[in-house]
Amino acid sequence: MFDLIEPALFAILTIGSIAAGAGVVLANRITTSALLMAFTFLNVAGMFVLLGAETVAMFQVLIYVGAITVLILYGVMFTPQSPRPYGLFFQTQKYWAALFVVPIAIFVALTAFSFADPAVMGEKGGDLVPLATSIFGDFAFAFEVASVLLLAAMVGAIVLVKRDEE
Amino acid sequence: MPVGPFGLDPAIWAPLRLVIAVLLVIGLVFNGALAQIYLERKIQAIIQDRVGPLHTGPWGLLQTFADAIKLLGKEDIRARLTDKWFFLAAPSIVFSPMVASYVVIPFAPGIVGVDLSVGLLYLTTLGSMTVLGIVIAGWASNNKYSLIGGLRSAGQLISYEVPQILSLITVVLVVGTLSMVGIAESQPGWQMHVFVLPLAFVTYFIAGLAETNRNPFDLPEAESELVAGFLTEYSGMRWAIFFLAEYGEITVVSAIVTTLWFGAWHGPFVEVFPLLGVLWFTLKAYFFVLVFMWIRATLPRLRIDQLMSLCWKVLIPLTLANILITSILLLAFPTTLVPVAIANWILLAGFVLALPYFQRRRLATLRERLRTATA
Amino acid sequence: MAVPLGAFIAVSAVLFFIGAAGVLVRRNAVVILMCVELMLNATNLALVAFSRRYASIDERGSVFVVFIFVVAAAEVAVGLAIILSLYRNRPTVDVDEIKQMRG
Repeated sequence: MFDLIEPALFAILTIGSIAAGAGVVLANRITTSALLMAFTFLNVAGMFVLLGAETVAMFQVLIYVGAITVLILYGVMFTPQSPRPYGLFFQTQKYWAALFVVPIAIFVALTAFSFADPAVMGEKGGDLVPLATSIFGDFAFAFEVASVLLLAAMVGAIVLVKRDEE
Repeated sequence: MPVGPFGLDPAIWAPLRLVIAVLLVIGLVFNGALAQIYLERKIQAIIQDRVGPLHTGPWGLLQTFADAIKLLGKEDIRARLTDKWFFLAAPSIVFSPMVASYVVIPFAPGIVGVDLSVGLLYLTTLGSMTVLGIVIAGWASNNKYSLIGGLRSAGQLISYEVPQILSLITVVLVVGTLSMVGIAESQPGWQMHVFVLPLAFVTYFIAGLAETNRNPFDLPEAESELVAGFLTEYSGMRWAIFFLAEYGEITVVSAIVTTLWFGAWHGPFVEVFPLLGVLWFTLKAYFFVLVFMWIRATLPRLRIDQLMSLCWKVLIPLTLANILITSILLLAFPTTLVPVAIANWILLAGFVLALPYFQRRRLATLRERLRTATA
Repeated sequence: MAVPLGAFIAVSAVLFFIGAAGVLVRRNAVVILMCVELMLNATNLALVAFSRRYASIDERGSVFVVFIFVVAAAEVAVGLAIILSLYRNRPTVDVDEIKQMRG
């Protein structure tokens, strides 16, 4: 019976993330979209844990839920607009979008099952040590460039929102 | 799957164990909060030369129960809110990560919820989720002061996460594992990490004070500032949940300090009776809780710009320098920890002694400015 | 019985296309940014699934995911800064109304 815990958890997380993702797109109010987006991030982090990638799951929650969601909430707070209920109802592009997205989605989802599990699965030791040795070993240069990127983004964001009269 | 005591069937024992663990954690959190509220009032009173709660029960011990009953009975005032669901959800978003933190704390050898290989990362992750709850609380209250208080608090929390994590990295460099149980086990007897890495302890403690919105960093929630900041519109039991979350977070920060720098459960006779480790752990953790309260009763509050400049201009360069020096020394002398200890104590002495010097210089500058302004 | 790899990829695909539909359909710039984050999350899920199943020796997929975290955070920061600047010039974030580059 305990073999069914993993598929059951996967089913719950799948339903959670897809429903929340659909909620982000379809919700009328932006604040609901933002909270549902945070919920999607949490579900995807749960899936990372299910895959055995605990470090990446912790980073996902730390960065996405802890920082990016707060940033987006700031964006929602500081750009208040008059609420337009049922804006999606009058959106004329939604049929083209559905036509483009739904067939490709179904096709990709069905062919995804053609990926076979490897014959020998890696041991469930977690991904901390391989991840650390890879990042600081093979990809040390990319790591440094990423820190420069963050610095540039920080400076750029501050410069962009400075008011001109100062 | 583990077989339960008295040979209980694993299918029953596993969920039963989960239920018992959840009840234990909730009991720990609530009773700890009850004890801490009483301790706080008594300790503040003693330091301020007063007596504190005296009449409800012997030595005022039942004061907290009286407070809790009063809070439960308060009217649930609901102003016209920006967003009702955000307002209702915010206390839970602040409270849940704190409760979830108790899973990885090692109370005694063998008594730990889950020995996560990334336990320390898990604790910092949960610490960063409380920011979301506070931003939501400040914004959903439809109140200018709450919004400003919430944004200030979020800025403070996000800023002080950086020195917090950087201090933790120093300990991980020395120990070599992120697992809390591993860190606790690497300090047998009197070889506590505080003798090797005192600067990281001090910076983590300061950052922990700021992370829990505690004096001297409690600008966002103090009663005399901004009409209690983001907590303004919360009354009765909802405020109590924020309050409980704060006291629980103080306990978690104290527990982390105990585990990382003071040898979590190690003490006399703990090899003979493993369960005695719980007693030593609790004593050490509550000592730091008392230090939190002592600081609250003693130090004045920092302004928001002083707070931010302390973080970005003092703590972050200090912790970064600490990591740099520690890693260089660890690579240069891989067998011994003595150079690391010496360097850290020198840095700590420099930090403590340099502050009065810079303060005196700043005071002289300000006096000069005042003199030229009024002349 | 472990969850098959294809299931994770299917979930990732569905999430990605939900995000893509959101980018095409929604008009509020902040919501479009949220849907872009959804797409990035779906990509992360696929990368980590492949990395854990095929390459758990050196976890190269997860390394890429860490860099995607970095880039996504930087992108959200700068994107929101741009949206706020736009909002200051004319008080709207509706992408249908922001059609001209000047004025």
